[in-house]
Amino acid sequence: MISPAPPNNSQTFEVVELSLDQCIKCNICTTACPVSAVTDLFPGPKYAAPQAGRFRQPDQPTPDKSVDYCSGCRVCNMVCPTGVKIAEINARARATLVEQGKVPPILRLRNNMVARAELLGKIAQPVAPLANFALHLKPARWLAEAMFAIHHKAPLPPFAPQRFTAWYKHHPRPTGAKRQVVYFHGCSTQFYEPRIGRAAVRVLEANGFEVIVPPQNCCGLPLLSNGEFRAARKYHANNVSHLVEYARRGIPIVGTSTSCTLTLKEEAPELLDMHDEDTYLVTQNTYDFNEFILLLLDEGSLNLNLHPIPLILPYHIPCQYRAHRLGRPGFETLGLIPELHLMDSHASCCGIAGTYGYKKEKYDISMQVGQPLFDFVLESDAPVVVCDSETCRWQITHATGRPAVHPVELLAAAYGLPIEGSLAEIIMDGVK
Amino acid sequence: MKYIQTEVLVIGGGATGTGVLRDLAMRGFKCVLVERRDLTHGTTGRYHGLLHSGGRYVVKDPQAARECIEENRILRRIMPDCIEDTGGFFVLTPWDDPSYAPRFVAGCQAVDIPIEEVSIGQMLREEPLLNPQISRCYRVPDGSADSFLAADLNAESARQHGAQVLTYHEVIRLLCYEDGIAGAVCLDLVNDEKVQINADLVVNASGAWAGKIAATADITIQMLPGKGTMLAVNHRIVNTVINRCKMPADGDILVPAHTVAVIGTTDIKVSDPDSFGIEPWEIRLMLEEGEKLVTGFGSFRILRAWAGVRPLFQETNTALNRDVTRAFVLLDHAERDGKNGLLTITSGKWTTYRKMAEVTVNKVCEKLGVRRPCRTHLESLPSSTKYQGTRSPVYHHLGARLAAIEKESSYGQLICECELATVADVERAIIQGEARTIDDIRRDIRLGMGPCQGAFCTYRATGMLHDLRHPAILQTNAALRDFLNERWKGLAPILWGQQLRQERLNQYIYQNVLNTDALPGPKTTKLAPDMYATSDDSSRVNYIPSSTTTSPTRSISSTDSGLNTTPRALVSRSDVLVIGAGLAGLVAAWRSVKRGKKTYLMTKGWGATHWGSGCIDVFYSDQAAASKIIPSPSDFIRQLSTSNPQHPYALIGLEGIQEALNEFQALCSEANYPLHGSIEKNWMLPTALGTLRPTCLAPETMIAGDARQRTPMLIVGFSQFLDFYSALAAENLNAQYIFASDITLDLPSLQKRRFVTGIILARLFDTPEFRNEVAEMLKPRLGNAARVGFPAVLGLKDSIEVKQDLESQLGLPVFEIPGLPPSIPGIRLHNLLVAAIERYDGFVFNGMQVEGFKAEQEIISMVRSNAATRRKPHYAQTFILATGGILGGGSQVSERGYAQDTVFDLPILLPDQRSNWLRDSFLPSGGHPLFHTGLQVNTRFQPVNKFGLPIYQNLYAIGGALGSCDPIQERSLEGIALATGFTVGEHT
Repeated sequence: MISPAPPNNSQTFEVVELSLDQCIKCNICTTACPVSAVTDLFPGPKYAAPQAGRFRQPDQPTPDKSVDYCSGCRVCNMVCPTGVKIAEINARARATLVEQGKVPPILRLRNNMVARAELLGKIAQPVAPLANFALHLKPARWLAEAMFAIHHKAPLPPFAPQRFTAWYKHHPRPTGAKRQVVYFHGCSTQFYEPRIGRAAVRVLEANGFEVIVPPQNCCGLPLLSNGEFRAARKYHANNVSHLVEYARRGIPIVGTSTSCTLTLKEEAPELLDMHDEDTYLVTQNTYDFNEFILLLLDEGSLNLNLHPIPLILPYHIPCQYRAHRLGRPGFETLGLIPELHLMDSHASCCGIAGTYGYKKEKYDISMQVGQPLFDFVLESDAPVVVCDSETCRWQITHATGRPAVHPVELLAAAYGLPIEGSLAEIIMDGVK
Repeated sequence: MKYIQTEVLVIGGGATGTGVLRDLAMRGFKCVLVERRDLTHGTTGRYHGLLHSGGRYVVKDPQAARECIEENRILRRIMPDCIEDTGGFFVLTPWDDPSYAPRFVAGCQAVDIPIEEVSIGQMLREEPLLNPQISRCYRVPDGSADSFLAADLNAESARQHGAQVLTYHEVIRLLCYEDGIAGAVCLDLVNDEKVQINADLVVNASGAWAGKIAATADITIQMLPGKGTMLAVNHRIVNTVINRCKMPADGDILVPAHTVAVIGTTDIKVSDPDSFGIEPWEIRLMLEEGEKLVTGFGSFRILRAWAGVRPLFQETNTALNRDVTRAFVLLDHAERDGKNGLLTITSGKWTTYRKMAEVTVNKVCEKLGVRRPCRTHLESLPSSTKYQGTRSPVYHHLGARLAAIEKESSYGQLICECELATVADVERAIIQGEARTIDDIRRDIRLGMGPCQGAFCTYRATGMLHDLRHPAILQTNAALRDFLNERWKGLAPILWGQQLRQERLNQYIYQNVLNTDALPGPKTTKLAPDMYATSDDSSRVNYIPSSTTTSPTRSISSTDSGLNTTPRALVSRSDVLVIGAGLAGLVAAWRSVKRGKKTYLMTKGWGATHWGSGCIDVFYSDQAAASKIIPSPSDFIRQLSTSNPQHPYALIGLEGIQEALNEFQALCSEANYPLHGSIEKNWMLPTALGTLRPTCLAPETMIAGDARQRTPMLIVGFSQFLDFYSALAAENLNAQYIFASDITLDLPSLQKRRFVTGIILARLFDTPEFRNEVAEMLKPRLGNAARVGFPAVLGLKDSIEVKQDLESQLGLPVFEIPGLPPSIPGIRLHNLLVAAIERYDGFVFNGMQVEGFKAEQEIISMVRSNAATRRKPHYAQTFILATGGILGGGSQVSERGYAQDTVFDLPILLPDQRSNWLRDSFLPSGGHPLFHTGLQVNTRFQPVNKFGLPIYQNLYAIGGALGSCDPIQERSLEGIALATGFTVGEHT
């Protein structure tokens, strides 16, 4: 049994692998797993985590490569009646595969390419037009598939002409802000969808906040889900060092990427056994965007001057968002907007699962996992889909052709703030 | 009577007997071994699996230590696949005398045991769970041994050299002539036939039973059977053998053996090796001693307890067993008792079995006047076939089985999922291993030895045993019953916490879904396992538990902030908050939300709907079955108001129950999934075992199976679906005079798949293509069947359409037969209830375990649920507790005999002594007293204190959380859930 070093401060914590003792083999997880439902390359959550876990031993060759087909969506965790940390056990087993060199070098290189959105963005975004041209050129995609096993159809988003932080640097600070908040933008906002960051800053400012954007790294989740724990640890430690000062001062850290916030809150410390006080402080002060808005509502300080948006839109709660175990904050936030109606997708996962769906050998699985969601979207006839997580949005758009937006964009629209992107046209049309 | 002539007869199929047999055969003797059950059925199969380095004996018994290290080296060479080279630590804990350490080191050096001191830092790096207070640690070449496999390989080697092994041959008496012994008379238990074996020489290698065997020839051997009790922890908490650095005593060894870690042992003199119990104080002692080695030991899940009897021998009696020599003894009864023809080899340890065999066979040579040298230390045992496919490792290693499964991608072929025994493994055990019982299969391939202790593999192995051996159906049934009871005997002593919950699930499966009670045939057989004697709390022997060891809580989640103001957590507010998503919780939420209350349902995960039959059982009693009249559920319920006025049904009354059933039937009909039946009669529907289960409401997909209608059935299985055995079901139905034939379809579309589970089949049945394929293959094979039974996997989305489509294609009525979880019919009920709740704007939140609450003056204001980094508070006017009791995880029972509900800490009264919790068999008539316990409530279903007053004014409890009933035993689980959920949801 793998057991990490004991905690070096006063908090106690649960070792991930020890939770396998809770399993009563009841098979509920196997009925819910969206991956083993569409492929038999993944033997299922019960087999991979609590069962195989009893046969894994540190310092011995890790016996099972099939665990790599777990997408990490955590649907199993959410239905398990006994509390086995299935997805986490699988993530750590995958890390052992990586550590022991069981992942072929070319795939490991590929994994590191898709898992390092930040590095990729830093290199490619400055030459966005060229990069976009190259990355969306069919022969180039086939080449990428042949050379790096990145599926030629996988939804690569275009780089934005301007980084989020470049915009933010020139964004005039509001005067008279009484409160401060830290915004964690994440890589997607920084390099691909800065409009979401702009909306977030504007919405926060509309609520009387001064928004601070400290230097930050990738949250490390793509690395964690590719078993690259060493690199993830570096990223997370960097983030903690950038953020802990604010946490200490009680300034909330808010993010619009549900997977980034989950990583800061729970995933990184748990998977990497980082239980130091600074990491803990950061976990405690990190909030998902909707969660934060609802907290403002709860304390009576939310700006409720929201204009109606007369639309009926499909809303998909990303699996990573469910894993926050907060209920339906997205619905509750958007429920504040008059005349806006949301339809719940009831889908367990869009299939992309971070970087999973980008991989040549997993793309088809990913698309099949997302099929119920895609069907739902296509049946809805709505002009745009709402979803909190970036890769899910890209996957939905890729599979259905429908644009997808973050809830914060709708909030910004309801506040009468500048609207950008696909939402702008739709709302114009809708209001007309 | 059958006669066998041989040179040497060996009595006993343990390590020593099989070792002697191999040595004899290799030296060219004609020899036969008899064992009263299967090989390793005795002490060899019930030890902790330690390959001694000898370190344990260096101070007390250097001779034994020397033999150990010599044999340790030999065994590593001749049977590497039986040995895991774990290495061993001797650790000095704060409870041990530091002056022992230098004596230990000197002792090791004196007998040439390699020893090195390991720094505490290094020790903790290798074994992070060890107690950090350990002050010294020494490494020695201990190992972990597979005694089952070793005995099998010794026997196999002996057979290859011409020996004969007769299992299930019990010695009745030794054959005595004037001058000695000339063989033995045995009873062949399988064929129920006497067998006389004439031999020039008899070797009594029956271990602790040596005295009993010798006594049949009026020879007195003073055996001191020393019972040792061991516990297995659910997973390998250590990967090195851990010994305490002190004089050998109780509970001082922790051995990583296959997937578990075994702590042992006690040492208690028993008068009879066939009759002893496992006492609660022994379990407590193991836990407390374990705590000294591994901090938090007491909080780990204990899988099982077992006891073996050491074959200790002394010519003169002594009271203290531990001081009897652990070196072995060879008795020449010609010299000792004046009786020729008999040698007894006994005492000793597993590690020295080969040496014992060598010395014995040397004596045999001397007796028979030949000189043939021993070669057992030179030639390796035949390589085991089990780990074929792995790159032949020098030693066995933990990951070997998983690696083999991965290599062949045979993860869809698992019969025992916990211990990774595949279809091929079970076939090999049954055919090559000549398994007669499921316990025999277990000893060969560890089937049923994992966390669930046979929950799934017992049924599967029974099906395979029947398919492969075609025994009479009653014999198959006996095999199933015997194995359930065999597992039970080692579980009963350690049932608390999660293993208790596991066992409750197992009972739900075998009593409720499969109705094992109703299996035709006798309840026990002569091949049955012997049970441990009933333990008695008052038999505590000179053991005072130390109060110094405490078990610190290892697993407190890090999610509570502990900060006062910031950071803050997101709040939810509702009128009604239901906790738990089993049938009771879902029904309560549905009724509540339907009445216009803002209702949230919070749950950790999904509930018992996923495990049951998918029917609504309301009530049934086995006693009534005996009278051949099947009373209606309403008859039972009417009686309850007088016989058990606290029973949940009595609190509701017949009319209320009736209303709940009617409304639920209406809901199901609306969802195009009608449930049929009424409280006035029970259906009798077939199970996957072929038993008939009484149930009140059954889905339309099942009712054509009703057994009161006597038309012939065809039971259909699928080759790749391991959770359903059509021949087993059909033959049991035939044994109950319901004509049934069986067929197993080998569909091309399933052959391509690596696994075929119930959920996969259900999704396939949702597609017309698959239904067509099934119907096409089945149609020409219908025979004279008037109806066709399938495993209960006929679709998840619209099973009525699936059923109708199959019926129109086959031209016959079609029905489903429920079996092992997951329950597809149960999931349908779950789904339609969740949809109903959401239709009225209620919400079901899963993955959100409720972990704490706040109450003021008997009013609960909020509960907190587990969430990433911060618990989430939920405020509500009314709270409904539907956490399912022990089965649902809503009440937890501790080893110390304390039980409470896990959300509101409500007290639950248990029978006062552990020995009064459980009965001796797995499914006793009348049930286990422990399972009648639960929350006590008033007529409004508010949990009450011992004065009958509500503990909280706005808290209600429903379903499995309630006491005064045993829903599994009464076949009332779904009925109580539905009726109480409905009543509370509707009227609160």
